[in-house]
Amino acid sequence: MSDTTTPPLPEGEACVPVSVSEQVEFCYARGWTDGLPVVPATRLLVDDMLEAGGYRPADVIANMPSRKVAVTAEKVAINAVMAGCRPEYMPVVAAAVKGLAAPAFGLHHVASALSGPTIIIVVNGPIAKRLGINSTNNAFGGGERANATIGRALHLVLLNCLRYRPGISDRATFGTPGKMTCCLAENEEDHPWEPWHVERGCRADESTVTLVAASTMIQVWNYGNHEQLLCAIGDALSYLGSIALLGRTPGAVVFAGEHAELLRGSGWSKRRMREFIAEQTARSIADLKRTGRLDGAIAPGDDAARHYAIDTPEDLMLICAGSPIGALSMVLPGFGSSKTAGRSPVIRIEGPRTA
Amino acid sequence: MLDAVILEKAGIPAIPVITDAFGSTAREMADLWGVPGFRFVMMPHPLASLSPDTIEHRADELVDKVLQLLQEGQPA
Repeated sequence: MSDTTTPPLPEGEACVPVSVSEQVEFCYARGWTDGLPVVPATRLLVDDMLEAGGYRPADVIANMPSRKVAVTAEKVAINAVMAGCRPEYMPVVAAAVKGLAAPAFGLHHVASALSGPTIIIVVNGPIAKRLGINSTNNAFGGGERANATIGRALHLVLLNCLRYRPGISDRATFGTPGKMTCCLAENEEDHPWEPWHVERGCRADESTVTLVAASTMIQVWNYGNHEQLLCAIGDALSYLGSIALLGRTPGAVVFAGEHAELLRGSGWSKRRMREFIAEQTARSIADLKRTGRLDGAIAPGDDAARHYAIDTPEDLMLICAGSPIGALSMVLPGFGSSKTAGRSPVIRIEGPRTA
Repeated sequence: MLDAVILEKAGIPAIPVITDAFGSTAREMADLWGVPGFRFVMMPHPLASLSPDTIEHRADELVDKVLQLLQEGQPA
């Protein structure tokens, strides 16, 4: 990480920062921040974080064999403090770190990808309301401490514990603003179907996180009927420049209130919607060749031949969040050239304050 | 890079081929795994856009170097 503005640390002498500004600069000088100031992680604050999560400092939250690191609770707590988390957020942050370690997530693929995806933390269950994790207005846009700091904590863990440093191991060409922080809760109240974690085998009263890696975020504005809406969503999941178009990495769709209401009224099951959306992700082979996504000259039959960006509809994550008003949904195309990475399993949040 | 390091640790000789844009990433992974001198072959970036014929040609260009390093082995 380049740093041309921070004064160098004094060498060969004890450095005990006293003032808040000195403490903040101390953290900058060591490359511990994401570019924004961090809260200095004092012993007292870290201990409070550990206690709230029910952890001892040496407890291993997750083993990351590809990075040769066992991430301890103390390290997670330090980064959660630095991110600005309240102690009661610790179980959520810890669960998200476990999500990074899940083999299905493909940590190294996600964290080192040129496409520099946003890692979105999706929170389900009663803990979301208890902690004030926003699922409604401006769900992706900031303004709530829980969303902002839980997402930031995970990215500080990537930076400080897993050593994903921009330009070295994190090879994002652009990155995304969401790499700084991205966390939201599913809106489980205004919901046409069962919530994501229940669909995946958890009880409604359990709290969970799921990580989703998305190369970009596309807002779909649509005042049509449910079929027209789902056609537009299929188009957004399969745009010709999408890095996920050929690799078919699982994506996700977040329906806001008006669209959720429209889909509720349609009477369609979630399964039927997934299958319909998948059918709308068809692109002609001719288009793929015209845009250089496939090699070769356009041949007779290429206009009629189809490639589907989603060929396993059951992989498509459909959730609800966002404002009750606005005919908008957020499409989150996958991030890479492989189906085998980019989404964690549903991780149950454990800890003394989840009961 | 990681695959090659793991193969070597399992006793299977391996020389990774890296595009030059990822040289620093490869070296960082080798450092992380405690094999800072791990040898690899670099070729020009990018790879993903090459046609099958160009990839064949690229492989022909690199194979002697890869074989040479395989015979010499990774540093102990």
